[in-house]
Amino acid sequence: MLKKEQLEELLTLCMRSEADFAEIFEEDTNKESISMLNQVVEGVDRSQSSGVGIRLYKGVQSVYGYTDIEDMDSLKNVIDDLVDALGPKDEGVKIQLKEEKIEDKHPIRIDPLASPLQEKVDLLMEGSQAAYEASEKVEKVSASLASVHQKVQISNSNGRLVQDDRHRVRMAISSYVSDGKTLQSGACSPGGSMGLEFFETTSPSSIGKEATRIALVLSQAKPCPSGKMPVIIDNGFGGVIFHEACGHSLEATAVAKNQSVFANKLGEQIANEKVTAIDDGTIPNAWGSQNIDDEGNPQQRRVLIDHGILKSYMIDTLNGRRMGMASSGSSRRQSYKYEPTSRMSNTYIAPGTDTFEEMLKGIERGLYAKKMGGGSVNPQTGEFNFAVQEGYLIENGKITDPVKGASLIGTGQEILMNIDMVGDNLERAQGMCGSISGSIPTDVGQPRLRVKEITVGGTANE
Amino acid sequence: MNKQAWIEKAKELGLESFEIYQSLSASKEMTWYEHAMDTFVTSKILGTSLRGIVDGNVAMIALEQVDDSKMDSVLKQLVDQAKTIQTPEKVVFATPKPLEEKAVSSRQWVQPSMQQVEKTMAKIEEKCLAYDPRIVQVGYLGYEEGKGAREITNSLGLHLEDEDQVQYLVCSIVALENGVYKDATKVEVVENFDTFDIDAFVKEVCQEALDQLGARSIPSTTCPIILEKDAMSSLFGAFAGLFSGDLIAKGISPIAKDLGKKIFSEQVSVIDDPRDPNALSIANFDDEGVLTKRKVLVDHGVFEQALYDIKSAIKMNTESTGNGFKSGYASPVSVQSMNLSIVPGEKDLDGLMEQMQNGLVITDLMGLHAGIHFVSTQFSLQASGYKVKDGKRSEPVTLITIAGTFLDLMNHVVAIGNDMDWSYKQVVCPSVLFEKCAVSGE
Repeated sequence: MLKKEQLEELLTLCMRSEADFAEIFEEDTNKESISMLNQVVEGVDRSQSSGVGIRLYKGVQSVYGYTDIEDMDSLKNVIDDLVDALGPKDEGVKIQLKEEKIEDKHPIRIDPLASPLQEKVDLLMEGSQAAYEASEKVEKVSASLASVHQKVQISNSNGRLVQDDRHRVRMAISSYVSDGKTLQSGACSPGGSMGLEFFETTSPSSIGKEATRIALVLSQAKPCPSGKMPVIIDNGFGGVIFHEACGHSLEATAVAKNQSVFANKLGEQIANEKVTAIDDGTIPNAWGSQNIDDEGNPQQRRVLIDHGILKSYMIDTLNGRRMGMASSGSSRRQSYKYEPTSRMSNTYIAPGTDTFEEMLKGIERGLYAKKMGGGSVNPQTGEFNFAVQEGYLIENGKITDPVKGASLIGTGQEILMNIDMVGDNLERAQGMCGSISGSIPTDVGQPRLRVKEITVGGTANE
Repeated sequence: MNKQAWIEKAKELGLESFEIYQSLSASKEMTWYEHAMDTFVTSKILGTSLRGIVDGNVAMIALEQVDDSKMDSVLKQLVDQAKTIQTPEKVVFATPKPLEEKAVSSRQWVQPSMQQVEKTMAKIEEKCLAYDPRIVQVGYLGYEEGKGAREITNSLGLHLEDEDQVQYLVCSIVALENGVYKDATKVEVVENFDTFDIDAFVKEVCQEALDQLGARSIPSTTCPIILEKDAMSSLFGAFAGLFSGDLIAKGISPIAKDLGKKIFSEQVSVIDDPRDPNALSIANFDDEGVLTKRKVLVDHGVFEQALYDIKSAIKMNTESTGNGFKSGYASPVSVQSMNLSIVPGEKDLDGLMEQMQNGLVITDLMGLHAGIHFVSTQFSLQASGYKVKDGKRSEPVTLITIAGTFLDLMNHVVAIGNDMDWSYKQVVCPSVLFEKCAVSGE
C-alpha cells in the first residue's frame, strides 16, 4: 500500500486538471482455491493480486486508470493520461489526507489463507464423503473451497483515507447421481465473510448431503409444464427473484440515465403492499457485507421498498451527481481493474405472516420452486429470467411430483405487483453477481412467497 | 524477473519441472453519452503465473508483484501446494517443438486516435437519434482497444511468445412505442476507422430495436424453430464443454462414452481451429506451450475428436490437442475450445424460413449462465425473435422460453444455414432450422 505522503502527492497531481474530484483505490488480494474430485485433491491454486485504480470526476464525466505496476513513476504516467483526457490546469489545490479508523463489523477468527492446507483438505473430505454416503446412487462428487482476503485502501481529494480488510470463504459441492442411463447433478455452495469458523455452524457434511438430496430429486423429476400459473417460491436463494426482477433496476447505474423501468418512481407504489425490500451491507459477517463501500463510504442498510412503495435507490457518488442525490454507500467493484458503480450487497424481502398452507390453498395447477438457480435481467425493459433448480408440481392445493428443466420469466413491474403472499421464514443465500463493475459476492434472500401468476418455461406442453 | 534464477531455484527445491507464464496487457476505453465523453479508462497490467510439478502433480501461483527476493518463499509455497495434490496422473510440461507453418491473422489493425474515436461516436449518436423518431436514447456507446503479449518459458527449454490485438465499438439503442421500451446492442470489430461504414452500423442496430417494438408473448406450443446465428452461437457455446477432454475424463460430459458414435444429426459437422485466419483471435500455441491445430470434432454427426490439455490427455492416454488455455493469467489452465464452429450449409436465413414455412425465428437467448443444466443438457431459456408465416418474417415475439434437451435438439436438425459471422465471436454457428422445440408463453 502507498504511504499517506505518496497518496497526497498523487492526488495533488490529479487535481492539477479540470477534475473536481479524485480518488485512489488500492488493493492487495490473496486467493486460494482447492478442488477435489471423488475425494482426491485435484488442484491447489493461489493468486496474489495488487494494484491501483485512479479515478477523476469532472461533473458527471469520469476518467479511470489502473495498473499493477505500482512505482510512483508509473502511477504518475497513469495520472498524466487521465489529466490529459479531462484537460490540464496549471494550478490546483494541495491535498492533505486525514486517516479515518473504521470499526471492523465483520471480524474473523480463523484466517483461511494462513491455515494449513491439510485442515482445508479435511473439511473438503468431510463434505465429499457426506455427499457420497447420502445415497448409493452417487457416482461422482466434486468439491471446492475458495478463500479470499482483500485489503483495500481508499483515499480521495476530499481528504479521506480509509482502509478495510475483507475475508470470505465458500465451499461448493456438486453431487452426480445416475439413474442407470443419464447423470443428474445437484449443487450446494454456502459461504460468508468469515474465516474457517464458518464451517462450525454450517458443517461441510450438511453441504454435501444437500447437494446429493437435490441430485436425487432431479433424477426422479418429470419434465416441467409450460404456461402462466401461480408459483410458490421458497425462502433463501428464492430471493434471486427480487435480485433480478427488481434489484438491478434499482441500481443508480440504470436509474441515473433513465435506463430502468423504475426510474422517476420514488414514492410510487411499484409492488404489492405485502412487499418490503431491503439492501443491507452491514449484516455482520454476511457474504455481501463490507465495512465501507469501494469508494470508502460506510456501508448502509437501505429500505428500497416499504409496503409496496418505492423508497430509495442504491446510489454511488458519480451516478448520484447525475441524479442530484447523495451516495447510499452502494459503490462496489470486483477489484481495482473495475471502476466502481452502484451494486447490491445483501438484498432481501422482509418477512410477512402468510403460512405455507394458505399459499397452497386454492391452487389447482401451479409450481412450487423450492430451490432457484441464477438469472438475468434487462433493466431497460424489465424483462427477467431465472432458473428453477428444484421444483414440484402443485395440484389441487397439494405438492405432488418433482419437475425439472423449468425457468421463470416475466417483467419486474408485473411480478412485484403479483406477489400476493409473503411468509415468515426469511433466509439468505449466497451468490456471485455479475455486472459492469465485475463479479461481486451478494446475498439474496426472502421468506417463502407466492406469485399469483408467472410464465413457467418447461418442456411438457399440454 | 530473473527467470533463469527462478528456474534454477525451483529445481533446487525439488520441483521436477517449472513454468513461467507472463502476460502484459494494455487497454483504452471510451464511452459517449448525450453528446459528450462519459468515461475514459486506461490500463496496464503485467501478470505472472508460476506452475511447478512434484510427483507429477501440478500446482499454480499467480502473482502481480514478482519480487526476486521472495523467490524462496514463493517456490516453497508452490512445492507445498503440489504435494497436497493426490491425482495419479503424472503431468509433464511441453517440450520445444518446431512450428512448421505459422498461422497469421487476416486482420489489418489501424489504431485510431482518440479524437477520431470521439468524432466517430458523435456521428453514430447523431445518426441513431435521427434514424427514427421512436429511437429515444443511445443508451451505451463505447470504444475499446486492447493489446496483449504473452510469454511462456519452462525448465524443459521451451520459450514461446506472441501478441494479440483487438479494437471494437459497442452501441445500445433504446426505442419506445406505446409506453414500452425495447433495446438492441451491436458489437462491431473495427479494423480501420477510415473505412468503417457508420451508416450500415447505425441501420443494423436501430432496425434491430425497432423490429422488436410491439413484440408480444405467444401461447405455449411446440413448433419448428430457427435459432438465428447469434442465438445458435450462444447456445452452442454454452455446451462447448461437451467436447472437453477434462469433463470426458471425469465422466461429467454427457458424451463421455460416445467417441466414434453418432451424437448429432448427420448434417452437423463441428470444427475447432485456433489457427483459423478469419477468426478474431488466433493462437499458434496454447497457454501450456503446446502447438495448436485444426480438429474435426464432429464429422456428419459422428463424434470423432475431443479437446485436451496436457493433464486431461494423460488421463485419457492420448496427446494434448493444444487446447489448454487460461481465462486470464491468474486462472488455472483448463480445456477450452478456440474458434469452435459448426460447418455452414447452403441456404441463407431467408432460404431457411422458406423451408420452415411456419414457426419461430429466435434472435436472442438470455440467462445462459443459469438456464442450462450441463450434465443432462436440459435447457430452458428466455427468448425473443419473430414469427414466420408462409415462409416470410411476421410479428415480433418476446417473453417466451424455449426448452428441451440440447443433445435431442441437435438430433433434430432439418437444415443448416450459410450465414457465418466471424467478426467477434470465439464460437461461431450459422442459423440452424430445427424440426421442433417446446415454446412457453402466455
